[in-house]
Amino acid sequence: MHGRVKVKSTAQQEEEKRKEREKKLKAFVSARDAVLRKRSAGEHDEEALQLTQQLLSSNPDFATLWNYRREVLLQLETSREKDEVQKLYESELHFIEACLKVNPKSYGCWHHRSWVNTRLPQPDWTRELGLCDRCLSLDERNFHCWDYRRVVVKESGVSVEQELQFTDRLIGSNFSNYSSWHYRSTLLPQLHPQPIHSHRVCEEQLLKEYELAHNAFFTDPNDQSAWFYYRWLLGRGVCVCIFNCLCQLCDLPPGSVSDISNEHNLTVHWTEKYTHRDCALYTGEHRERRSVACVCVCGRSELSVEKSSVLQAELQSCNQLLELEPQNKWCLLTIILLMRALDPLGHEKETLAHFQTLKEVDPMRSSYYSDLCSKFLIENTILKMEYAEVRVFSLSNKNLTTLCHLDQLLLVTHINLSSNQLLRLPPQFAMLQCLEVLEADDNAIESLEGLYHLPKLEEVSLRNNQICKLSDLESLASCTKLTRLDLRGNPVHKTANIDSELSQLLPLVTALSL
Amino acid sequence: MGTQVKDVVIKPEAPNTLLLDKHADYIAAYGSKKDDYEYTLSEYLRMSGIYWGLTVMDLMGQLSRMNREEIIEFIKSCQHDCGGISASTGHDPHLLYTLSAVQILSLYDSINVIDVDKVVDYVKGLQQEDGSFAGDKWGEIDTRFSFCAVATLALLGKLDVINMDKAVGFVLSCMNFDGGFGCRPGSESHAGQIYCCTGFLSITGQLHQVNADLLGWWLCERQLPSGGLNGRPEKLPDVCYSWWVLASLKIIGRIHWIDKAKLRSFILACQDEETGGFADRPGDMVSSLWNLSHTILHMHIYFACDFSRTCHSLYRAYHSLRYILASVIYFHPGGSFPHSVWCGWSVFAGR
Repeated sequence: MHGRVKVKSTAQQEEEKRKEREKKLKAFVSARDAVLRKRSAGEHDEEALQLTQQLLSSNPDFATLWNYRREVLLQLETSREKDEVQKLYESELHFIEACLKVNPKSYGCWHHRSWVNTRLPQPDWTRELGLCDRCLSLDERNFHCWDYRRVVVKESGVSVEQELQFTDRLIGSNFSNYSSWHYRSTLLPQLHPQPIHSHRVCEEQLLKEYELAHNAFFTDPNDQSAWFYYRWLLGRGVCVCIFNCLCQLCDLPPGSVSDISNEHNLTVHWTEKYTHRDCALYTGEHRERRSVACVCVCGRSELSVEKSSVLQAELQSCNQLLELEPQNKWCLLTIILLMRALDPLGHEKETLAHFQTLKEVDPMRSSYYSDLCSKFLIENTILKMEYAEVRVFSLSNKNLTTLCHLDQLLLVTHINLSSNQLLRLPPQFAMLQCLEVLEADDNAIESLEGLYHLPKLEEVSLRNNQICKLSDLESLASCTKLTRLDLRGNPVHKTANIDSELSQLLPLVTALSL
Repeated sequence: MGTQVKDVVIKPEAPNTLLLDKHADYIAAYGSKKDDYEYTLSEYLRMSGIYWGLTVMDLMGQLSRMNREEIIEFIKSCQHDCGGISASTGHDPHLLYTLSAVQILSLYDSINVIDVDKVVDYVKGLQQEDGSFAGDKWGEIDTRFSFCAVATLALLGKLDVINMDKAVGFVLSCMNFDGGFGCRPGSESHAGQIYCCTGFLSITGQLHQVNADLLGWWLCERQLPSGGLNGRPEKLPDVCYSWWVLASLKIIGRIHWIDKAKLRSFILACQDEETGGFADRPGDMVSSLWNLSHTILHMHIYFACDFSRTCHSLYRAYHSLRYILASVIYFHPGGSFPHSVWCGWSVFAGR
């Protein structure tokens, strides 16, 4: 039983309750047994309807009874005229509605109602829509009702515009309505699709939606629904473009690149996606008889002038709100997201400061904010790396708690992650196929799962981490060019015979520091 | 001005240690209370109830207190001609209880007491044109059933019998603007459905299709000031959501985004010191097996080291649950990156 408060009662009250329950139980058991007996006997008649009605009214989750009821109804259909069938099922709808009043969240009830509508010679979708309106007015978050409404809307041909207006009304009358915002998110792409990606929303409509959400959280800055929706809006048209970098390692047929120089600039066309990008082509070493080439594709879609000015205005408004509500975490997070959309590198300092505040005002989610901040710092560093056209990735002393976008670092030769809070080098680290030097001192690294089959890795420094067992280092054996390894300040040095064990495990490592 | 956050307040005198013995006694006694009102009224989900109880007892190292033979006979009596299994004798077969039965038999290493091929046929027969799964022949569609289908087949080693591409396609079509999942395409995100869908995607090797950062954020925002978790925005916390939310976070690798200590104290405060078991939130009535099992499972996932007396049984539990708990290392073709995938194992039965 959910939502029943426990109240301590006297011995007498306990006894009365016990007697009452015993009575109820007896009645239930006898009705249940009678129904199941009838069913076993194959009886599909009015009495079956009556018996199941009694039970289902207060036990709508007893699914087998709905099944039996359906069998009875189907049987009765065969001996009735169309208008009688209509009446039969209409009265069924009345019954279901009575059940819903008692338990508006019963899967069995709602499904049965849908089923009845498939049997009704003439379903009345207007009435069904009315039922949904009434039900939602009692509980706007009843997802069973919302799901049923979606079916009614589809069957009855209610337009998307009308439903959008319905959400306008609900949102306008009660801002705290996540279900309405959610519904909106599904309606918009249907009404205002993007030309090519039809599941996305066109820009014009998106900008209007910013205003709707903006009004909601300005009226009530603690209405989380509007902030969730807003984040979606930002992601929909914007964040996808912030970071659009793709790295691929591929083999080119021998002889396809005749030039001796190391770099080429070329344009790659993707016929499938009707797009193209300017790329740089780096020729790797010859491996057997194939030339392995790395193709780096970088792109950062620009914001349209219109979108840029809208977002700039949004940022200003949110900053004003922040002055009034400096502890509002939704506002802080949204400001960060807006700044990233507009100018991730330019706003880096402010972003870090806001993350610090976020961790203070919303400490339960500190880990989330730390990871998100780490992600943004990594993105910024990748951008800086691209602009500088270097292959060195350096992010030391930045409170990094997680690594991501490792698939963007395929060309990196040197990586410095020292003085952070990393716990592991995840499996995706194995993508860094060009990596020659790794510095990751002063972290809390326990796992090196990602350090395997790195063909160019020569030097690894992991001082002051949490590598405890010899087995934690096993993956390194597959890095055949590894010669320098610094493991000072790790618990593993306490392992018995560690020196000899390591030289057995990693015979190629000539400079080992423990 | 401003919406009040819907939440509960934990009283200072609420329990703050885990009352394992009381919980074990509660469950051991549960089956014997055949004249109990709530026990009888919950007959429609009996198979799942048994599964929850057994799992919890096993985690607490007390599985032997349950009557294995009686339960196995019971399950045999619940398999119908179509292959599907019902919640109890005289009830109709359904995917929910077919899964629970297969889970129980896996736990007891006795899967062959039922006709396995027929179970597989039953599950396969419930897949629809669009890849979705109906719960039974009456046609209710829900992503819960997609999870039940693949979990059942995975335990039986028969995932290949269904149309996997379509099954995956349907579940992905239920992904929402917030990264979460609902019952059907267009349905609102809900922690229970999210558990089923991330579990589904984990079992089918498609976790990379989830936006883990976005969904993880939505999930960690379920944690309220009291430390408890709700199932979706603007709802009260409930101990069963500790399971749905936490398991989902574990599956997508973001479990550290929840404040562990605060959640722990919320859960402990939900215990009933008199009867054993857990209420859905501090101060409410104990809600039998549902909350207890979900809570213990949760504690197992997150607080394994806190079961100081039962540490050994937890490792035993891991071993005994090896059929149920599948930890799969999945490599994508093309040599990109491995996934570490964890399958959750509970069933979301009609709420």
